[in-house]
Amino acid sequence: MKRLTTAALLGALAMPVAAEEFTFAVTTDPQTMDPHAVNSAPVLGFLNNVYEGLVRRGKDMTIEPALATSWEPIEGGVGWRFKLREGVTFHDGSEFNADDVIFSYQRASDESSDTRSWFAPVAEVVKVDDYAVDVMTNAPNPIFPDSIANWMIMDSGWAEANDTALPDKEAGNYATLNANGTGAFQITAREPGLRTVLEPFDGWWGDAEHNLTRAELVPIQNPATALAALLSGDVDFINPVPIQDVARLQDNPDVKVIQGIEARVIMLGFDQKEGASEAGQGGSDLFLDPRVREAAAKAVNVPAILQTIMRGNAEVASQLVSHAMRGYSAANADPYGYDLEGAKALLAEAGAEGAEVSFKCSNNRYLNDESVCQAITAMLAQAGLNVTLDAMPVQNYWPELRADNFDMYLLGWSPGTFDAEHPLRFLASTPNEEKKLGSWNFGGYSNARVDELLPMIQSEIDEPTRQAMLDEVTAILQDEVAYVPLYVQPLVWGARSNIELTQRPDNFFLLRWVTVN
Amino acid sequence: MLSYIIRRVAQSALVLFVVGLVAFSMFRFVGDPIDNMLGQERTMEDVERLRSQLGLDQPFPVQYVKFLREAVQGNFGVSFRQGRPVAEILAERAPATLELALVSAMLAIALGIALGVFTAIRRDGFAANFIMSASLIGVSLPTFLIGILLIYVFSVELGWLPSFGRGEVVDLGWWNTGLLTSSGLKALILPAITLGLYQMTLIMRLVRSEMLEVLRQDYIRFARARGLSDRTINFRHALKNTMVPVITIIGLQLGAIIAFAIITETVFQWPGLGLLFINAIQFVDIPVMAAYLMMISVIFVTINLAVDILYAFIDPRLRVSA
Amino acid sequence: MSRLQRILDSDQFYAFRRSPVAMVSAAVASLLILVTIFAPLIAPTNPFDPSSLNLMNGFTPPMEPNAFTGESFVMGTDDQGRDVFSTILYGMRISLFVGVAAVLFAMVLGIILGLLSGYFGGWTETIIMRTADVQLTFPSILLAMLIFGIAKGVTPVEYRDQMAIWVLILAIGLSDWVQFARVVRGATLVEKNKDYVAAARIIGQNPLTIMLRHILPNVLSPVLVIATISLALAIIAEATLSFLGVGAPPTQPSLGTLIRIGQGFLFSGEWWILFFPACTLLALALSVNLLGDWLRDALNPRLK
Repeated sequence: MKRLTTAALLGALAMPVAAEEFTFAVTTDPQTMDPHAVNSAPVLGFLNNVYEGLVRRGKDMTIEPALATSWEPIEGGVGWRFKLREGVTFHDGSEFNADDVIFSYQRASDESSDTRSWFAPVAEVVKVDDYAVDVMTNAPNPIFPDSIANWMIMDSGWAEANDTALPDKEAGNYATLNANGTGAFQITAREPGLRTVLEPFDGWWGDAEHNLTRAELVPIQNPATALAALLSGDVDFINPVPIQDVARLQDNPDVKVIQGIEARVIMLGFDQKEGASEAGQGGSDLFLDPRVREAAAKAVNVPAILQTIMRGNAEVASQLVSHAMRGYSAANADPYGYDLEGAKALLAEAGAEGAEVSFKCSNNRYLNDESVCQAITAMLAQAGLNVTLDAMPVQNYWPELRADNFDMYLLGWSPGTFDAEHPLRFLASTPNEEKKLGSWNFGGYSNARVDELLPMIQSEIDEPTRQAMLDEVTAILQDEVAYVPLYVQPLVWGARSNIELTQRPDNFFLLRWVTVN
Repeated sequence: MLSYIIRRVAQSALVLFVVGLVAFSMFRFVGDPIDNMLGQERTMEDVERLRSQLGLDQPFPVQYVKFLREAVQGNFGVSFRQGRPVAEILAERAPATLELALVSAMLAIALGIALGVFTAIRRDGFAANFIMSASLIGVSLPTFLIGILLIYVFSVELGWLPSFGRGEVVDLGWWNTGLLTSSGLKALILPAITLGLYQMTLIMRLVRSEMLEVLRQDYIRFARARGLSDRTINFRHALKNTMVPVITIIGLQLGAIIAFAIITETVFQWPGLGLLFINAIQFVDIPVMAAYLMMISVIFVTINLAVDILYAFIDPRLRVSA
Repeated sequence: MSRLQRILDSDQFYAFRRSPVAMVSAAVASLLILVTIFAPLIAPTNPFDPSSLNLMNGFTPPMEPNAFTGESFVMGTDDQGRDVFSTILYGMRISLFVGVAAVLFAMVLGIILGLLSGYFGGWTETIIMRTADVQLTFPSILLAMLIFGIAKGVTPVEYRDQMAIWVLILAIGLSDWVQFARVVRGATLVEKNKDYVAAARIIGQNPLTIMLRHILPNVLSPVLVIATISLALAIIAEATLSFLGVGAPPTQPSLGTLIRIGQGFLFSGEWWILFFPACTLLALALSVNLLGDWLRDALNPRLK
């Protein structure tokens, strides 16, 4: 790594005067450069600049060719055939071909890899020739190409030469600190937690839309510090901009705010297990009664939260995915709506007035999460529930939820596949360790019809039939108030005014769309 | 004498052992590292597998003994978050913290002594009283707020100084320094002030009260009677005699500097050990937390040990009482 | 009456009347403490009652009517629509309670351990003073974070929501006892060799009586000075912990939590959410610090 630093220093000296250098700040440093070790947004978002998959997402999130030039279902729905791009080289100069795809499949689907779940539907990957592979699936899988946009291809020769044939989460290995992709940018220096330097890759197969000569990623944790860095011009880009500062930044001619809707839906979850271990937390079986859940849904004035705390920068949600996602149910687009009297009446009917509720919330996971939870606490109090809010950092939050220490909790969900099936698998299915279903369904919501429809949705090729089933599930979830979807989290990026860039709803920031004027 | 030293060293080793034990028994309450190591599509099976790979499923005494056995051989394990040897990470981050601590300590000592002497000599003057009261403002607001206010004024509004980071750093191989570049020096100013403010106030007040004490002593009166100039009396005689307690306090304040460095480094995104530690807490990076704590305790215990042994040499009576 | 007379005639009181700084500080401190005690009577609203809050009142500037509700507030409102003035009053109760309780805890613990180690020496002293070493190794902030974690782990679930305050007291108190213990131990070492202690020992008084009756009164004045300054430090420590995410719960914010919340609005123009709580904290800590300062000088007979 020291060698790399020196190289970067020499590079800096040799740089022409008109160099378009760009510094961007994020809250969390990507913890590894290994594209298969950790399936998290900071890592995959960053590595999309360096590595590429067979397919990639365009500016509007549609799937477009990357290392594969075309793909088609194999006769009978047994899999997909991908034709590979010829003449692509990795950053170290070696050639890309089908062997690298097979290798990357093995690497990314291994037990030691965190991206393994993407390949659960895959039986095997077969080499057809040097520039074609067949991905054989266990059952017809219409959304497979959509689900692998973040499956990044690594050079088999490089990996073997550097003894990194498998990711190592525990001890790390060569690929944790070094990268060798086919992407538009290559890493020239990496100091974890401090900075990561990227330079354009001359041998990239695509046409460069950017004009950068060098880009540097710096993590800045404290939001006020990041904002100060942007305002003073120390960095050119920050993500996110604290919501409350949006209006001020918009008035400032030196900077601009780029806003959009993220894929993440923020929702309330409820403890719906009988008895459960959280005895003593007030009415432990309180939310088994759907009327109480509905009362909570009606008591929360989402528009007021959006207007004040989110400053008008978010949209009300009606279901577990936002309308930008594939499979969004337009037939169920109405949110619950604020109705305080209705909520009180429902609570009275259920005999739950004045019931004790323990509400758990994270305070550093979602935008303004603590503030939002406080507001919800006040609103539920007005409806007649006796809510105690417990907000905690995320490292304590997930263990707390896993231990069932809650009556009600806040959760944000961003579907990795950009498809409405994703949250059903993780949030709405009855938890089933064996089938790997419902792994984030902390409240234990369970509905036989939902469980029955999920596998049918997963293998249905016909678009209208699939949508009809998704509509049915969405209606059931709304009816039973499985969750209370609150709003779609906004994306708020800040940049100096001379920067042009493209914002994608998955919150991935891609350098190949950045120009410095 | 030798037996005293041996006894003190043994006690110190015991202290280190206890620190480690206490720290380890606490780690499992800090949170669960697994959540940060796996993405949202993980299954409970993945969680359990990684947990046992990391040895986290074992009772903490077992984990601790394993840590101790490795640590004695100089192996502090691999960071959960960065996947690199902890020793390497600590060595990389230490220069930033040491430079910051050193510069802010020097700032605090220089200003603290100067202002302390001034307020002692002009004990009842308006300026001295004003400085005394104003200096308290610095210790009456939380450090993080002072840091943010400094950034707001000097980086955002005035645009004079960088808002975060360490500026350009020169790599000397075994050490990386920000003291050799102008951007590095500029970046140092605000964090050093933030970190040094509290120590400065403390030193200033200590120097003042010690000076007042000394100035009342007979030998000073005698010197004055002999017609020595005020300057000679104040600096040659009085100040020199206040230095012993001041130096002792500065040594003891090392802990405070380290503790406050955590806050300062967080506010200024200063890439030192404090920031590393805060990150480690957020990501429940147990190997980094453990190594950091052990390192701090070694520093403390060593200083304590050195001071005690030094005192024992100077004052033989202490050997009996301690 | 004679006791009051004695106080009024004392040297300290004379020095007090001669020092304008001390008088102003005492006035400010007592005003703040009084206001805190009578907060429910003075505050226009009860910010700790969630059902009384109206989110639409959020971010109202001081002395201006809110655009939606038309209500107006002396010091404006915060992000939850809480009246900043009332929240400061209630928040100060938590800050002062945490500060006073933490210092008392540290003081009692420090005095006991200091007396024991100074009086008995030997192994007692070794154990106590080495424990102090261990203690000093852990930066107070870290200690608080760890105690917070443990408390979460061991408190029964139903009490967990109320424990934050007690954990703060424990954490700040625990990180503070060492300096009391060191001072008391030092003074005890000096006192125990004096003739009157030796005399008391010879007539067979038990060690407890000797420590409490004879030695303790002699170490009280330095302890008092440390306690005053520790109080200011404890209030600020609580604010710092809040910044690190382990402070008082946001639904019942302390002064420190208010400042932590307010600093998020420094750049967005809602200055009042930070400004008023910060000024209050400054006034409180400054007056306590100045009093401590004056006390140190006043109790030191040689500086008269």
